[in-house]
Amino acid sequence: MNLLRKIFDPLTEINNKTFSILVIIDVCIALSVWHFLAVGGLIPTPIKIVQSVIRILSSNSFYDNLFISLSLTTKGMFYSIIIALIICYLSLIPIFNPIAKFIIKCRYLTLTGLIFLFTLLTSNGHNLKMSLLIFGIVPFFVTSFLSIIDNINEQEYELCKTLRMSNWRTLLEVVIIGRLDSVFEVMRQNFAIAWMMITMVEGLNMSEGGLGTMLIKSNKYIDLGTVFAILVIIFTIGVCFDYLLKQLRFWFFPYTKLQLRK
Amino acid sequence: MYKKEEVILKVEKVFLNYDRPILRDINFEIHNITRPGMQQGQVVSLIGRSGIGKTQLFKILSGLLEPTSGTVRIDSDLHPVSAGEVGVVPQNYILFNHRSIFNNLKIGLNGSVNKLSDKQKTELIHDYADKFGLKEHLKKYPMQLSGGQRQRVSIIQQILTGNKFILLDEPFSGLDPIIKDKVVELLLSISTLSELNTLVIVSHDIENALAISDTAFILANQDHKEGSTIIETIDLMQMDLCWNPEIKKNKNFIELVAQMKYRM
Repeated sequence: MNLLRKIFDPLTEINNKTFSILVIIDVCIALSVWHFLAVGGLIPTPIKIVQSVIRILSSNSFYDNLFISLSLTTKGMFYSIIIALIICYLSLIPIFNPIAKFIIKCRYLTLTGLIFLFTLLTSNGHNLKMSLLIFGIVPFFVTSFLSIIDNINEQEYELCKTLRMSNWRTLLEVVIIGRLDSVFEVMRQNFAIAWMMITMVEGLNMSEGGLGTMLIKSNKYIDLGTVFAILVIIFTIGVCFDYLLKQLRFWFFPYTKLQLRK
Repeated sequence: MYKKEEVILKVEKVFLNYDRPILRDINFEIHNITRPGMQQGQVVSLIGRSGIGKTQLFKILSGLLEPTSGTVRIDSDLHPVSAGEVGVVPQNYILFNHRSIFNNLKIGLNGSVNKLSDKQKTELIHDYADKFGLKEHLKKYPMQLSGGQRQRVSIIQQILTGNKFILLDEPFSGLDPIIKDKVVELLLSISTLSELNTLVIVSHDIENALAISDTAFILANQDHKEGSTIIETIDLMQMDLCWNPEIKKNKNFIELVAQMKYRM
């Protein structure tokens, strides 16, 4: 009874075992609801999707497509982070600040309208996908990271002054080294955007393949079992990456674990 | 026996206005106090109620905030203060959370005028950590320390930069009575580390601030005038109410604290 009250009480801390039980219960409820809704035949049942997942996983072409999508996302993320970090750090130098402000606003630009421009600017399909991916991720990454920089306590800068650090040294200590752990957190959040975009950009140029191409082809033939199975695979890989990046953050920056509410 | 020697900090006609006057015509001096046969630093308190502008004055004294008008001069040549010449220990003991305690202290030494080798730096850090009960915490991160321990690290970090002036904003705030007594002991020991060490304590805790100080300045508002100013200077040396570890039990000291509480 006490446990039941606890799980409905806001801000209550629960142990890992209770959390795991809650996850299992939630998953069971979700699958039951899904199964019930799928009886009409509009969407495939969870069992059919599991069967499709097994079929996809046992085909060789899936791993080629997975590798293509993963390498494109990883490369896109890598270049985006480098570009976004340079923009963010430079934004602290007054002359570059307007550029960063403009890039933040680019979140409201739709990629669809820019595809033609990027097609003209890039030499092949791979570069087109990469440039669209980077253009899509960078504004979100810059927005998230600049909000972290904006929220740095003024007293940290004052501490640097009292320790006789120059402005450049302060930038290095407080913003670059001091917020390196936040880069990982922002990266984790934005990996989701990159992963979500990958299926879209792969649809623009299908010659290389990838999970996005697989998804579009299956959609075309209204093969809903395969579509849902690919979605489940994309979702699972995304969740695994999220977990991996979270653990990497704790591993590289152990102090971040101390700041978390348990 | 003591002597008031040269002026080592002089605040002249300091005004601070935002949308209204915050500080008005602040003037005071801190002298180098000498006592025969010992290294006696200075401990000065700026006492005032919450919201009176103490923290703003604190920032002006440290060179972190430019006053609307007036000057703060330090050292025997009385040159205008600039940021980095005065150590600051803020109320919430800000440290670099991404660095271990050892590296937080090392950063203090890196900013020091005296250039030391890495080996000398390590030895000095271990010396101070040993002296102030932080030796077993050197590998920890600031988030793993208690408020009192963070305060000690913050103070030592500033001492290691080689600053003779150290400002402490509300050093007794949020500490239990036993820890407060330990902070008093700690500050007294720091003040006697060097003849020119000067601690300026900004506090609303009258009893503890007076117990540790040789001079206290009272910051308050005056009737019909906007902005706070120094309304009274208490010379605890002249009153024979300083440098006594048992001062809180002294009848005259208790009376003085009661009077101050009433007047503020």
